[in-house]
Amino acid sequence: MDSQMMTGNLAAAWGARLADVDYIPAFPITPQTEIVETLATWCERGELAARFVSMDSEHSMMTAAGAAEVTGARVFTATSSQGLLHAFEVLYSISGWRAPLVLVNVSRALAAPITLESDHNDVLAARDAGFLQIHAETCQEVLDSILMAYRIAEDERVMLPVIVNLDGFTLSFTREPVTVPDPDSVRRFLPPFRPFHLGFTASSPHALGVAVIGGTTYAYFRHQVHLASRNALEVHRETAESFHALFGRRYDLVEGYRLDDAEDVLVMTNAGASTGKAAVDAARARGKRVGLLRLRVIRPWPADAIRQALRGRRAVAVLDQNLAPGQGGILYQEVAACLYHETARPRALCSFVGGLGGQQLSDGAFQAVFEQTAEAGISGTGRGPVLLYSAEEHREMTQLQMVAAGSVRREM
Amino acid sequence: MVAVRFHGRGGQGAKTASRILGTAAFVSGYVAQDSPIYGAERRGAPVAAFTRFGRDPIRERGAIAHPDVLVVADASLLDDAAAHVLDGVTGQTVLFVNSSLSADRLRTHLTLPEHVTTRDVTGVALQQLGAREAISALLGAVAARVVGLEWEPVRSAIDRELRDLGLAEPVLERNLTAARLCYDSVEPARLPQGAVQAVGAASLHHPAYEPPTKGTARIAAAGNSVLRETGGWRTFRPVLVADRCNGCWLCFAYCPDGVISMNREDRPVVDYAHCKGCQICVHECPTHALIAEREQEGGVAWTAK
Repeated sequence: MDSQMMTGNLAAAWGARLADVDYIPAFPITPQTEIVETLATWCERGELAARFVSMDSEHSMMTAAGAAEVTGARVFTATSSQGLLHAFEVLYSISGWRAPLVLVNVSRALAAPITLESDHNDVLAARDAGFLQIHAETCQEVLDSILMAYRIAEDERVMLPVIVNLDGFTLSFTREPVTVPDPDSVRRFLPPFRPFHLGFTASSPHALGVAVIGGTTYAYFRHQVHLASRNALEVHRETAESFHALFGRRYDLVEGYRLDDAEDVLVMTNAGASTGKAAVDAARARGKRVGLLRLRVIRPWPADAIRQALRGRRAVAVLDQNLAPGQGGILYQEVAACLYHETARPRALCSFVGGLGGQQLSDGAFQAVFEQTAEAGISGTGRGPVLLYSAEEHREMTQLQMVAAGSVRREM
Repeated sequence: MVAVRFHGRGGQGAKTASRILGTAAFVSGYVAQDSPIYGAERRGAPVAAFTRFGRDPIRERGAIAHPDVLVVADASLLDDAAAHVLDGVTGQTVLFVNSSLSADRLRTHLTLPEHVTTRDVTGVALQQLGAREAISALLGAVAARVVGLEWEPVRSAIDRELRDLGLAEPVLERNLTAARLCYDSVEPARLPQGAVQAVGAASLHHPAYEPPTKGTARIAAAGNSVLRETGGWRTFRPVLVADRCNGCWLCFAYCPDGVISMNREDRPVVDYAHCKGCQICVHECPTHALIAEREQEGGVAWTAK
């Protein structure tokens, strides 16, 4: 199979194209715009038989996406950061309608202060919206995950929308070799969308997302969304096997890197995990027995897979590229919760927060993480949240503050 | 603690009545709490409100499942199973019904507790206030009397609550007069000594996944709103004076519930099983061919579900 150099954004567009989507409502936002621009071009040229519509906001875009999906169309859309937040209330409706569309989110840190580079506060804000979430590490994984996402989403046992996440800049604008799957094989992997519970037609009207009062009915339907999301663990496994058989690439709920004899494990997500793997290699070269666990599926939460990967370790460090002010790292909380009942749980669990807004995760930072985690494992006392921010970074920051305050003046 | 549950129709004042009782109890030196519950429906839809008061801090919130006193602002609600008026009522519950019928008349087709009082509060309102809906002060006064509160705190509570709603001074005075009449027309009741019934742990059902055809909040059966007859929501009904009608179809166009159809002679036909009595057709009719007639107890509005 031929591979070609492409950005994460182009890979995402290819995912939508190969999934043969019917409808693409769009609104531009950096660093996502390349995805919808590419799709617009393909639709214009007739290379993709989808209806492409530019909307007036992400709120309208997601509303149109959900509404189109419930007519039985296969829908793709993409956004990022502030755009995802602007669409927020609609996310909950779409999952409640059990409308299995796929939304690509290109992670970008949230304002204020406004920025363009990546962290995961945007996508993790949507973690309770009833969407499944797949977080990709490579451009290839972006494309492949979109195909897997449609198959999982449209399964009768799931029937929930999916967010496929990729990091802004470090994946969205980064080119690397990507193999474009053969369309015929994709058609075998992903059968046409035939939902029994959706499909508005003039002759058979029905009401969706109806109002309920009193709690019981509401609770029943929310429970169903939860159970559907849990079902996705098994459906993901089957889908991953089928994908592997057809395309030769294997994706599990979580990915272990050099875990076999690792006494300390670093937990990460998304493209930053590549840097984490390099740091593991560097630490291994210094004789440290460390490994990395990458969480790929965040919703449903793969608790069993996480427990299996982390039980018996000396210490575990969760490196969150997000910050819940007043709390700490978001994924740390969830990892801690699922390890609580594990009898062979790690002696220490540490929380690190780094890489906010595209902040560089340096070799030195990783070395500090591994050292502190090893110390915690020896003492049996976890630590954190530790905010990764070096003395050198602070010197730079101090300079900027002086400029902002007007205490540095240009020589006349 | 005393728990009083009010049932009424949207616009009748059940919520304000529960606030008047809450404030009256508070002014009397009790710990008090009041709250309403209602859906997105309009005037005429069943609503409920809850007032609790006592000497100790109140640890309950929300709906009152087992009321000591039940105040029903509209007797037609007793016949509407969907309004759940008699839920949680025991033989000990003290019941007050706004009705011109006697308790014995009501008992001919309803199973009611031992202590039932009826008064035609709507009649007093029509006589004293000249308005058919604003009976909150009257109901609040009745409820306060039944639970044994003095008049002065009740008067002060009505004054506060109605003033908050922006009522003009003369209207407020008329409400106080009418409320006093209602207050004096009933006796304090012997309230049940709330023996708390022991309940075992709930038997939990373990929710199982169901296919999206069942597990999605959707309604596939078109046109099932006719199953819910809302004719009982009316206190007044639109009636056609045929020789005044010019066949303009405005009533048909304005009806928010689509219950007016036009016959071959271009005359409106009202579906009384579903007409909610909003009177918009009466207001819009340019020739005054539609007039409002008060529903009589036991009439069509009473039998509609």
